[in-house]
This record gives sequence, C-alpha cells and structure tokens, in this order.
Amino acid sequence: MECNEAARLLEPYLDGELDRDAVRALETHVDGCAECQAALGNLGRVRHALRAEAPRYAAPASLRERIRRDAARAAYVPGPRRMPAWSRLAAACFGAFIAGAAVMHFAGGPGAGAGDQAARDLFASHWRALAATSPVDVVSSDRHTVRPWFAGKVAQSPRVTDFADQGFPLVGGRVDYVGTARVPVLVYRHDKHLIDVFVLPSAAPAGASARRDGYSLIWGSLDGQRAAIVSDLDAGELARFESVLTASK
Amino acid sequence: MTAGASSAWVSSLAEEHLDAAYNLGRWLLGNEQDAADAVHDAFVRATRSAHTYAGGNARAWWLTIVRNCCLAALKTRRREVPGVAVDTVVDATVDAAANDVEASAQAEQRSRAIERQLRALPVEFRETLILREIEDLSYREIADVLDVPIGTVMSRLSRGRALLQKALAPRTEGDLHGM
Repeated sequence: MECNEAARLLEPYLDGELDRDAVRALETHVDGCAECQAALGNLGRVRHALRAEAPRYAAPASLRERIRRDAARAAYVPGPRRMPAWSRLAAACFGAFIAGAAVMHFAGGPGAGAGDQAARDLFASHWRALAATSPVDVVSSDRHTVRPWFAGKVAQSPRVTDFADQGFPLVGGRVDYVGTARVPVLVYRHDKHLIDVFVLPSAAPAGASARRDGYSLIWGSLDGQRAAIVSDLDAGELARFESVLTASK
Repeated sequence: MTAGASSAWVSSLAEEHLDAAYNLGRWLLGNEQDAADAVHDAFVRATRSAHTYAGGNARAWWLTIVRNCCLAALKTRRREVPGVAVDTVVDATVDAAANDVEASAQAEQRSRAIERQLRALPVEFRETLILREIEDLSYREIADVLDVPIGTVMSRLSRGRALLQKALAPRTEGDLHGM
C-alpha cells in the first residue's frame, strides 16, 4: 500500500468502517511507516479530546419529566381523527388521569431489573413493528410458507400453526431482536388487533406479565419453547389466545 | 398502526435516546433552555409524524427530527438577533488563568478549551464530529441524519478533525512548557 492511499484510510480505520482485508493491509503499512504512525497518533489525540474531555450533556430531569407527561397524555388521545366535542373532553380527563398513573409507574422505575429490560425490549419491538410499513417480513396465512422462511434466519424455526378456526388467523412472521438475541416472531390477528408471539429459547427465564400504554405482555409456551405474547387485545381475549397457543399440537 | 401505538413507540424511542438528543441540541444551540425546548418540540413532531417512519434505523430517524428542530430554532434566533451568531462567540479570557497547580483544575481547563474550540468550529463540522465521536453513530447513520452522501460525512469529519487538531496543538505545547 502506498502512503497516500494509507493516509486516506486512516480515519475510516479509526472509525471502524473498513472491512477486514483493508484493515490488515493498512496495519501492515502503518507498522513500517513512521509518517502514518504519527498521523494516526494525532488522530488518536483528537479522538481522546472529543471522547474523554469534551462534555456530553445529559438531558435535564425537567425535560425527561416533560416528555413523559406528554407521552402519557398522547397515548390515550386518538390522533388526527376528528371526534365529537364531548368525547374529546372525556379523552382529556381520562388522559390527565392516566398521566398521573404513568408518572407513578415511571417513578417506580429505578429498581428495574433484567426482567423489566426484557419487557421493555418486547414492547419496543412490537411498537417498532407496528410503526414500520409492514409488521411482518413474510406475509402468509400458510404455515407451510412461514416455517421454512425462518430456516437459516434463526437458530431454531418455531412450530407454526394457523389458529383461524379459533378466531386468530396467522398473518405472517418476522425476525426481531430481544436484547441481542435474534428471535422468530409469529404474528396473528384478532379483529383489528395484531398479536406478536416472540418465540424464545426454552432456557429463557419466564418474565412477569406487564402492561404499558394499553399494551399487554403475557407469557405462554409453544412446542416446549417459551413464548412472549404482546398485543393491545383485551385481557380476556389475550388469555384465550395464550391457552390456544400453549395447547396447540 | 393506531395513534396510541405510534405515540407509545415514539416515547419509548425518545426516552431511550434523550441524552443523545439533548447533547446534540446543546452543541447546536449552546444553552440548556433552547436545547430542551428544541428536543421537546422534536418529540411533539415525532409523535405526529410517526407514520412517516418507514423502517430502518430508529435512532437516526429521531435524531434527524431533533436536528431539524434545532436548525429551525437557530434560524429564528438569527432573525431576532441580527449579526450575532451565538455559537461562534469565543471567550478568550479563560486562558488567562493558566498554570493551575492542581491536576483537576488543569483537566477542567483542558475540557473547557476543547469545548470552546469545538464550539468555534463551523456548525457542519461540529455536528458531524458530535454525532461520530460523542454519540458514536456510523457513517451511514450520520449520512441519514444530515441528509448528505457518505462521502460528505467523511470529508466533513476529516476537515473537522484537522481544524480541531490545529486549534488544540499549540495549547498542548503551552501546557508542556508550563509544567
């Protein structure tokens, strides 16, 4: 490698943007080139100045509180759809009530353990999927299409069953992250509600059921694997879905 | 998705990356009040436009909105106070108190010097450096946030680092002589 080419690659190298071959070629050159070593040293000093010595401002508590208050309110006021005045008023009152409840819920936050983190991940993943153009990567009500699709994408393809007869048709599947683990997610529908089933390894600890912003997380099992179920379905219907899923063969 | 789901998603996203958003705001706008207002404004906008999120990197999507709100605030400020670009004002008096014996005071001073030099950089270099070095975004993510090609990200980083290196170099030598 020539010096001028190496000089051009020093920053992408430092930023972790080079592929393995380029890294090896560059390191070989830098080992034998005092000039490039000096340039890398200078870049390292600038980096140190920015990462270790420049301030990173943390959000003030007042801002965090402001956003939580707004969030709690917004979660219960339907968006742009126009509503009659009386229902807006009712929603506002309800929103204020919920805002109080949500602040209390968050105030209990600092003791959050690993289970709490898992619940956060599962809710976040469900919301992210709802926000994306499509909540599924493979659209199919045919279990023979969905299961092979998972093969090669996750360690273990889950058993896929369509529960249309019980009122929960299969919509499709996707692969998502819970923490750092890639897990298969089966997506079902009931009326207009989507139900995510995260199929976790059987060794995964069962978490506690949780509720957040109108969404519920409950736990069941699927073919010996642990299943985390997330939906905005009401509690009774969700429990029915869980028993259908767990009893399926 | 329902309005409830989108706002729940946005608030979980905003909460997770609130420090990143506020830090970017502080570096672009300078003071706490303006930065907090811009981030709050960004949160309101993000909640309303959650449907525009088409998959991809959610943090980059959120920081893009934060940055746009900061730039809007900057524009308003420039109109209100013509001729004064607040973020380029450099306070030169701090240097006068050099050669503090205490190491902590020296570190503090060094940190202030870096902050001052970073604030003195043109905003396009400053924001790129903040996103890369302090928020640890990849080239791709920075390109998305700033809405520029990756090549531009690379050249801004390079130019910004060179400027900062030059600005900080004489000071380092001065410190050495002082010891």
